[in-house]
Amino acid sequence: MRRPQPHWGEATKPRRVSRWLDPRGRHLGTLAFILNRLTALGLVAYLYLHLAILGTLLRGPQAWDSLVELFRRPLFLALDVLLIAGLAFHGLNGLRMALVGSGLLVNRHKALLAAAGILTGLVTLVAAVRIFG
Amino acid sequence: MTAPTPQDFTEATRWRRRPRPTFAWTAQVVTGVLLLVLLTVHMVAQHFLVPEGLRGYAQVVAWLRNPVVFTLEALLLVAVSWHAMAGVHAIMLDLGLRGRTERIVAAVLGYVMVATIVYGLWLLYMIAFRSPHP
Repeated sequence: MRRPQPHWGEATKPRRVSRWLDPRGRHLGTLAFILNRLTALGLVAYLYLHLAILGTLLRGPQAWDSLVELFRRPLFLALDVLLIAGLAFHGLNGLRMALVGSGLLVNRHKALLAAAGILTGLVTLVAAVRIFG
Repeated sequence: MTAPTPQDFTEATRWRRRPRPTFAWTAQVVTGVLLLVLLTVHMVAQHFLVPEGLRGYAQVVAWLRNPVVFTLEALLLVAVSWHAMAGVHAIMLDLGLRGRTERIVAAVLGYVMVATIVYGLWLLYMIAFRSPHP
């Protein structure tokens, strides 16, 4: 018989987020799912940081252009490459999850994951060359 | 009623027995696909079309004053806000959030999404059309 789900604020303690970071005994698809969730949280945090930074544009050209000078430093350019890697993986793996979740190419999900990984690597490489080049 | 045997679950019956997708799932897929296109345009325009890699103030204002760009950026803002908040909600559900707490969290995420869209659209408008420093 199926045990009832624990409910936050209603029953027992919730599942721990730290379980996501434990790779033991996981299938490749599950690891990709967890990585998709983690990149999602990182991208949500970046969205609000990005909106806050864009607010600098309202303070005029001097404020914005000095910020752009700061963002042209190698550390920030490296973070840009990391952002593009996160976006590419989340987008391409998300597309794979949408296809498999819709019942399409279910038997090819590992090949799709490999393709998503390869494409993410390629996109990141091209972005790194273009940004640092 | 007898329990179905593994032989019952052929590809055809498995397809027919699939639960119908929820509105949240469909909306997440649609906004996700839309974001793949809009974010690619956004990132290429911001990083790959500008010689120095990032747009200066005058370039940003001129870029956003283009009606097509303004519309695409507004659409990107709406799609990303929906996708982000629905995604956070899905993660909360995965972690076991249910009942009254879930409804409160869903409402808060909805308000955050609306606030994000309103702030983002206001910011876009102010930068593009009310810039005090042309």
